[in-house]
Amino acid sequence: MLTRTRYFLVASLLVLGVGVGTGLVAYYVGFPAGAFTRGDAADELRFIPRDAAVVAYVDVQDVMASDLRQKLHKALPGDGNGQREFQERTGINIETDIDRIVACLNPNSSMSNLPGAGLVIARGRFDEVKIEALMREHGAHVEEYSGQRLIVADRADHADAGDHPPQTTTFALSFMEPGLTAVGSTNLVKNAIDLHRAGDNPQTGLVSVMRNEEMMQQVKALESGNAWAVGRFDALASRAHLPQGVAERLPPITWFAVSGHVNGGLRGVIRAEARDEESANNLRDVVRGFMALGKLQAGSNPQMQLIAQSLELGGTGKTVALSFVVPAEVFDAVATMMPKRQPEKPQPEKPQP
Amino acid sequence: MSVSRSSPSLFGSAARIFELSLGQMLWSRRSVFLGLLLGFPVLLAFALRTIDAMYRAGLWRQINGVRVGGAAIFGLMIWLLYIRFIVPVLGVFYGTSLIADEVDDKTITYLFTRPIPRSAVLLGKYLAYLVCTTLLVLPSVMLVFFLIVPIGGGSIGAAFPALLRDFGMLAIGLAAYGAVFALVGTRIKRPLIVGLVFSFGWEPAVLLFPGYLKRLTVAYYMQALVTHEMPQDSAVSVLMQVFREVPTVATSLAALAIISTGTVWLAGRAVEHKEYVLEQ
Repeated sequence: MLTRTRYFLVASLLVLGVGVGTGLVAYYVGFPAGAFTRGDAADELRFIPRDAAVVAYVDVQDVMASDLRQKLHKALPGDGNGQREFQERTGINIETDIDRIVACLNPNSSMSNLPGAGLVIARGRFDEVKIEALMREHGAHVEEYSGQRLIVADRADHADAGDHPPQTTTFALSFMEPGLTAVGSTNLVKNAIDLHRAGDNPQTGLVSVMRNEEMMQQVKALESGNAWAVGRFDALASRAHLPQGVAERLPPITWFAVSGHVNGGLRGVIRAEARDEESANNLRDVVRGFMALGKLQAGSNPQMQLIAQSLELGGTGKTVALSFVVPAEVFDAVATMMPKRQPEKPQPEKPQP
Repeated sequence: MSVSRSSPSLFGSAARIFELSLGQMLWSRRSVFLGLLLGFPVLLAFALRTIDAMYRAGLWRQINGVRVGGAAIFGLMIWLLYIRFIVPVLGVFYGTSLIADEVDDKTITYLFTRPIPRSAVLLGKYLAYLVCTTLLVLPSVMLVFFLIVPIGGGSIGAAFPALLRDFGMLAIGLAAYGAVFALVGTRIKRPLIVGLVFSFGWEPAVLLFPGYLKRLTVAYYMQALVTHEMPQDSAVSVLMQVFREVPTVATSLAALAIISTGTVWLAGRAVEHKEYVLEQ
């Protein structure tokens, strides 16, 4: 073999080696971006359909363990019966059993009204037998779909104000793998099962939201937080059957995004992408007006003043962003205004016969 | 004392031919054409990246009013430049010339008079073609990937698994097209014309229509391996989308493996049995 041939082989393999090495480093280290991190929402986003109009994520564990939630739990009236009853009926303790949730809303063309079709992908620890038994008690039946058990329940929707007759939609639940459940409209659950089984396959039209570049760019642009939602405002507004006057006055927003971090207090950003820069400037003016009004209303209330002062309007070009911080002191003040929660009394023992 | 000399095995002989042919193939005039062909996507990617840097406002990143990210542009380039053009062209130009060049140069006699199986000549040259084209195409794709994917905030890490799949798909495509055209080159008198007609006449035409004929193409099986969405860049592409039935990945892999090994074997047999008459 000629020396130059040998050099060519070495150079070519070197380019490939460096490229693959860099790609691997980017894959394992450089993948996280903002709220979108592998191992968090990314795993569940693989099962959300590409044409979802709204995608939302909540790190339930983080929110439940936050100081804010603990404060509200102690302060708000109610003895937690609802939560206990939910646990007894489903075997799910919301505080400990659900790790995170990814949900989506898909305005279904076959349905006349919002919310259309919805899907929730939850990761956690679930008592599959108990949940299935509960659903069957309420008239659900079990189907087999692509090797997965699908628990399907019929749900009669009410007729709307127009001429549309009442529709019967089906609602399904499937445990796609241990600790991962999909629940929602049957078609979306079946789609999630297909995506779980075969992964993305654009050739067959089976594509997840991860390939929706516009949506993923919105997700990546989010501030880090333990809860967020991103959606197409125009897609939702066009199917909301709003009165003509209201629909005309809606700001020309294409995308909206909300992200929040719940800990001692609440820190969040609301972001909207307008159709053009002029619309964005108009929207900024409107928000500025509301901010001024809010500051006036805050008056001498120190907690409200703290919130008003934290409001910050930002964004460039077509993007309008409003960030806010609700400090822990505000929630402390709210807690003092609430009636004190009664400590749980021990149940009197029944007399023995 | 007599020394018994056994003739070398098929693969041993093929390895010797491979070593000899790789250098010839790399430093031939055809490689200039190959360099230009593979340099074009890299230059295009470089130009796109420069434009992106100049117009970061994203004015140009709109195709039919839809914002397009780097990963989508990369997918488009894989489809339009590599799968539909570069891979078939390399297969045609190199595959058909494996034996034909030696016949035209009247050097085939030197190879056939060596004490090695004739089919080893074809096998060695085919392997040299595969290594030569793969080691030129993959770095070109790699450079395009790193230049294009970050455009519009695209993530290298997110798109990297797709790049590895593209590498596999392109290598398989080069193997299949090269094998088919190696057979054409050993059997047919004017292999280059036949190869070009097959790649740019028969394959695109047959893929447009429903029916079984498309199974007699390599492109039909290649399509199933592409992870990027097929671009709807023309009316022909839209028609292809409409009438397209895509085989499963397993079927495609099996079919391409059968095509590659089957046609190389047939080409080897043809070389073994054909009598080459060198024109004076």
